[in-house]
Amino acid sequence: MTHLTHNPDLTGSVIFGLGWVYLLLFFMNIAWTKRSLALDGICHTGLGVPYAALWAVYAAMLLMISITHLTGWDTPQQFSLVMPEFLKYPINKASNPVAFFVGSTTIYILMIVLRKWWTTPTAGWILLNLSILFLALSITDYDFRQIVGKPDNVPIVAMLYIVGFFTWLYFKKSVDNDARKAAGRPLLEQENAEKVLTWPDLVYTELVCMVLVTAVLIAWGIVLQAPLEEPASAAKTPNPSKAPWYFLGLQEMLVYFDPWMAGVVLPSVILVGLMAVPYIDFNKLGNGYYTFNERKFAVSTFLFGFLPLWVAMIVLGTFLRGPNWNFFSPYEFWDVHKLELLNNINLSELFWIKGLGQPLPVVPQNASFPVQAWYIVCREGVGLLAVAFYLLALPNLMAATVFKGFYIKMGFLRYMVLANLMLMMMSLPIKMVLRWAVNLKYIVAIPEWFFNI
Amino acid sequence: MEEKKPSTADILAKIRAQKAAAAAAAGDVPAAPAETPAPATTPAPAAETVAPAPATSGAKPTSTKDIMAAIRGGGAKPAAAAPPAAVAPPAGDAPKPAVAAAGPRPSVQDMLKAVREGKVGAAAAAPSATAKVGTPVAAPPMPAKPVVASKAAKPASARRSLAVVATVASISAASFVLGFAVGSNLLIALGACVWGVLMTPFAAAWFSVASIGGIWTLGTARFMFPNVLVEPPSKFKVGPLSDYPINTVSNKWKDQFGVWIVHTDQYEGRNMIFALTSVCTHLGCTPNWLDGEQKFKCPCHGSGFYITGVNFEGPAPRPLERAGLRIAEDGMLEVNKSVKYQEEMGQWSDPTSFVSVV
Repeated sequence: MTHLTHNPDLTGSVIFGLGWVYLLLFFMNIAWTKRSLALDGICHTGLGVPYAALWAVYAAMLLMISITHLTGWDTPQQFSLVMPEFLKYPINKASNPVAFFVGSTTIYILMIVLRKWWTTPTAGWILLNLSILFLALSITDYDFRQIVGKPDNVPIVAMLYIVGFFTWLYFKKSVDNDARKAAGRPLLEQENAEKVLTWPDLVYTELVCMVLVTAVLIAWGIVLQAPLEEPASAAKTPNPSKAPWYFLGLQEMLVYFDPWMAGVVLPSVILVGLMAVPYIDFNKLGNGYYTFNERKFAVSTFLFGFLPLWVAMIVLGTFLRGPNWNFFSPYEFWDVHKLELLNNINLSELFWIKGLGQPLPVVPQNASFPVQAWYIVCREGVGLLAVAFYLLALPNLMAATVFKGFYIKMGFLRYMVLANLMLMMMSLPIKMVLRWAVNLKYIVAIPEWFFNI
Repeated sequence: MEEKKPSTADILAKIRAQKAAAAAAAGDVPAAPAETPAPATTPAPAAETVAPAPATSGAKPTSTKDIMAAIRGGGAKPAAAAPPAAVAPPAGDAPKPAVAAAGPRPSVQDMLKAVREGKVGAAAAAPSATAKVGTPVAAPPMPAKPVVASKAAKPASARRSLAVVATVASISAASFVLGFAVGSNLLIALGACVWGVLMTPFAAAWFSVASIGGIWTLGTARFMFPNVLVEPPSKFKVGPLSDYPINTVSNKWKDQFGVWIVHTDQYEGRNMIFALTSVCTHLGCTPNWLDGEQKFKCPCHGSGFYITGVNFEGPAPRPLERAGLRIAEDGMLEVNKSVKYQEEMGQWSDPTSFVSVV
């Protein structure tokens, strides 16, 4: 029951380490204050002080917090600069797969809608500071630390920052270029078109990067030990049993699909679909320069598949899926006996039992194959029709309505490839929503033939 | 000036000089055709005259370096000789001096050259080949005919030769076998002769590739039948009926044999004992029996099964599988893992898939 008490196991070394994190953040913000003083000017709404003054106050607070950590670490149980319960409680309450998926999709949409705002350097800096503060405060929570501080998972935190930075960089350059296009000015890439030599400019940069990466890898290998688990046993599966981090999106997909679909068909479609992108892309704009406005469809489709459906699923699988693949909120104890009732039913059961109020058609004993097939097709008729509608009729409907322009520009074959790839990608969120909304297990469930959709 | 050991620089200088001489000789050919035999027949002196380095040809080569230098000098010979020989059309017997130029021991290049010349000669002799080789130059008035002829002739002849090889092979093999069967030495000898003709290097190479490949394949197939099989027996006793109280799941045999022994009256209201294999029907992980929740729960993707083995949550598409169970002659329960019973196939009604408790 120790996990229920106030900040249990908050050790001195954790507090001491956090002190260094805050100190680093303090120095970063000192540099930022200097930059702000030179560039940002005066805040006219209040007292008329320069913006840099606000940053200086913030940096001073960070320094005080850092000193508190670095000096007060010897009495960890009395330490009060921890994640407050009033923040933990709503986060824990609001955490579930639905909220996570809806939240990540909302963030994704906001990222595109508010791209002009969040790509300014100040906004980017504020977001970075907020995320580091959130992480540093959360580390004081025992359960959060157990998961995020696991040596396996530390690189995934780093990866999130890298993904965030490069997405930010892309949107920043795109917003800049789109504004230049609108104003009739030359593009960023044309204005900075001066060329440098491979030797020494590129090769030296590569050398420096190589040395840095090697140093980081060595330090990482020494500081964070690779955890070994118990010896493998055919009769015992570790609980939770997790795929390598880069496959956790697939593992999350396996919760909603048959292994044949989520393990073979959809990954192949992802790979082949990515290979097909150059052939189905008819938009000649955006070649060799950053832009969003000229490639709205391409960029938002790709980023939807990448950010909410791949990266967010990795986050979900790494940090929020615990024993028995149950969902655990960030500050929740990983209880092996957490009870989550998921009485899933198939579409055929929904249709026959709940809809028509009669039992499922049962294949008679010792029936010949055609009879068996007839009964099975009858039983799964609704699901088969739904899948046929989704994959065969829907592309045509979309061609006549929302994708009319695409259909005319691309021609039948290319349009069909695009439409089917889009529909395959959307099948994941659709299946997730159906699972959460009506506990739907399979749309077509034919376990007799190992065929489930 | 005779040095025992010339330095590397000297050797290099010499080689360069020889190269220069060869180049000069080649360049001279169109201008002075009369000189062609000279570099062809006496390349070594020509090189020697140009070379400022200490000449080693006169002295006996003593050191390794000298020998190397001599070899390098010799290597340059045919290269120097070849261009004049090849580009001298007026001399009718041009190839011959080239071969002769190499001296008593012909180098590899010379031999190759000779072989090529011979081939061309043979091609010239064979009328069918002339059509192929000589068409563009020799037959300007009727270009269509030879082209068609050569086109048609090549695949047809290849096919014919294949057929011939196949026929000959079968005949020779048959005569071999027949000879042994009948006991006729004549037939055996005939078969051996034909076989000897057939065994060209090409056939021999493919034959050995095929036979080695076949042996490897057989060797691989042998691994499918190991001498010793280290796996638990598929039939094993799990104790008397009384070991398993009603509505319990026994984990006792899970680690060793991968089965749970379940005693429940929740499946179709019948009091029965059955053995469930501990393999999730979703992706094959091993679920755990959670006594508090009265369910099997898979750690990989969260599939859940009732005590009866029927799936009810998570992605598992079908119930857990049963293994065979019976009461053996000594009254003990005996599990038979070599058979499995799937609920969705209606196999759970099979009386060998459970033991009724009365």
